Amino acid sequence: MKEQTPEIRCKGLGVSEGVVIGQVLRLVDGASQVSRWSVKAEDLEKETQRFRDAAAAASQRLRKIRDQAGGRLGNEYAYIFDAHVLLLEDEKLLGDIVEYITAERVNAEWAIKVVGDRLTALYSEIKDDYLRGRGSDIEDVMQRLLTALSGARPEDLQLAEDAVIVSRDLLPSALAELDLTHAQALATDSGGWTSHTAILARGIGLPAVVGLRDFYRRTKTGDRIIVDSHRNEVILHPSRETLAGYDKQTGQPSARRKAAHVADRGALRTQDGVEIKLRANIELPAEFDGVEKYGACGIGLYRSEFLLARNGLTVSEQEQRIAYEAVARLAGEAGAIIRLFDLGGENTRSHFREPEKNPALGLRAIRFGLRNDSVMRRQLRAILLAAASGKLKIVLPMVTDVSEVKRVKAMIGEEIAKLMDEGQPYGDVPIGAMIEVPAAVMMAEKIAACVDFFELGTNDLVQYTLAVDRSNDEVADWFRTLHPAVLEGISRSLKAAEQAGIPAIVCGEMASTPAYAVLLIGLGATDLSMTPSAMPRVRSTLAAIDSASARIIVDECLTCEGADEVEYLVRTRLGSRWPHLFPASSLPQPRPTE
Amino acid sequence: MIERKLLVNARLGLHARAAAKLVRLTNTFHSNVLLRRIEGGPNADAKSILSVLMLAATAGTELEASVEGVDEQAAMLAIEKLFAESFGEREVEV
Repeated sequence: MKEQTPEIRCKGLGVSEGVVIGQVLRLVDGASQVSRWSVKAEDLEKETQRFRDAAAAASQRLRKIRDQAGGRLGNEYAYIFDAHVLLLEDEKLLGDIVEYITAERVNAEWAIKVVGDRLTALYSEIKDDYLRGRGSDIEDVMQRLLTALSGARPEDLQLAEDAVIVSRDLLPSALAELDLTHAQALATDSGGWTSHTAILARGIGLPAVVGLRDFYRRTKTGDRIIVDSHRNEVILHPSRETLAGYDKQTGQPSARRKAAHVADRGALRTQDGVEIKLRANIELPAEFDGVEKYGACGIGLYRSEFLLARNGLTVSEQEQRIAYEAVARLAGEAGAIIRLFDLGGENTRSHFREPEKNPALGLRAIRFGLRNDSVMRRQLRAILLAAASGKLKIVLPMVTDVSEVKRVKAMIGEEIAKLMDEGQPYGDVPIGAMIEVPAAVMMAEKIAACVDFFELGTNDLVQYTLAVDRSNDEVADWFRTLHPAVLEGISRSLKAAEQAGIPAIVCGEMASTPAYAVLLIGLGATDLSMTPSAMPRVRSTLAAIDSASARIIVDECLTCEGADEVEYLVRTRLGSRWPHLFPASSLPQPRPTE
Repeated sequence: MIERKLLVNARLGLHARAAAKLVRLTNTFHSNVLLRRIEGGPNADAKSILSVLMLAATAGTELEASVEGVDEQAAMLAIEKLFAESFGEREVEV
């Protein structure tokens, strides 16, 4: 028997609700440290064998993942892994590494790193953008080899019913790739409330604590772990006493996740009769169920980037059309709003030549689309075609002025003309603008005059208004959703929409937090879009408040001098106006401190 | 030994998935299959995905294939077919 390892508690930020007891499954990202040591001549054969065994284990594991992916996401997806399997069995690659081990008398890890770096360097010289991007295939394979060498046997744990994914950082695409039916929770070193991975975790109801700083390096795959989003905490090697306390409290974690609330349906009205629409934000197919389950009034935001996960930017018109038709069917009468590919920043790592110095301010979203004409036109055509059989709207991400809207509208006009020539049926598609950068807020009245609706992306609006990177935990203290400047921006945008007589949908994560949702109602919003699983709690809150009181509280917030003051006001005012809805513990607390 | 010219006409070139298909195919034959860019450069073993990827063959690249072995006829035929069918990828545009 192993002796009891002392319990380690680590504070982070609970971004997706739930308490889970499980086993660590470490997911390596691209940044792991590899050290070098010498191997004695007589041990070289052993080292080589260690490497060969690891390669065999890695390839066996990947075959399993491939077969699962094939079943779950279709063979198109599995084929990506097929290339990785072949690489893991490639005699040239394995031979190069063995040769390096023997020639330099070094450990296998170091040999993998050197050979891998050499290959990725070769790849980075390739002139073709797409092929160069595939250098990540090699990195991925090298990481799998390193993971296998670390002695972990994740092939068993991958399937364990109680796997808790622990990672430094987890790319959204990596999350999409996981066997989500088995993963029970997520714990990452970086990230914040609105990082893309956190949004996805909420979307699929996967409990998550992020921003754990240096937790990952302390863990081993197979370690016992408790993830507790309510206490913003993870506990590694929990003691018997701790476990006993949790067992009583949680019962079966998986049962808790499956026990969905029965959705309240029908019109939602505040106590003073203001009708509020709740729509769904979706991206992954795994989130689709929630739209119906939680009674969403259509889809307020379909993040189309998921379509790029399989084929990259070349995703075909046909494939897109089928996806958009499915989204329209899911949305029904209320329709679905498709956001044009919002590429850039965290989701284009593999599509770009060089990493941009400042991707948040770089060639992304609408800018990327306007630069890559053919990609955008293909998407527009697919949406127009899909709109022949369902209700679809388009929203343009990261608009800064009217000219961008006009350029896209001109393109749509041209594509419609082509479709008419070809005799293909298409449908009318209203165009909206995402209001998510300060320039758009300042231009709101002018932009409102030339679009059919507004959509307020509050996550980016906070990030760009306050110039705070939402995935950088070093500046998490400056990411203040309740900053008066943010409220001012939302207020102005909503007013501009109202004056122009167009709808405005608030689709950021702000809408999914009951206290913030109340403020949005106070600011004049009547149309919110959020992750489906957040709907029951937002619905029950908004049904119990009156918009007049919300407005009074917001007006007071708008006079504040800083975020601290607003947060204080929100805590005290909401708590005293609606004490049954907002007991002290439910309100946004001052950020967790060390 | 048979030698043929092949044109990479898959839109994305010989990327990972196309390369995987090629490698899976060549490994079903006994013959050795070598690929080389028409303008010269090192030979790539078409049974090794790493070699094939390192050709960095983009769409429109011309390659020279040499196949040698007991089943060279059948192998070359199958390889030519795979190239002609753009590695089984659906055409992106009409």
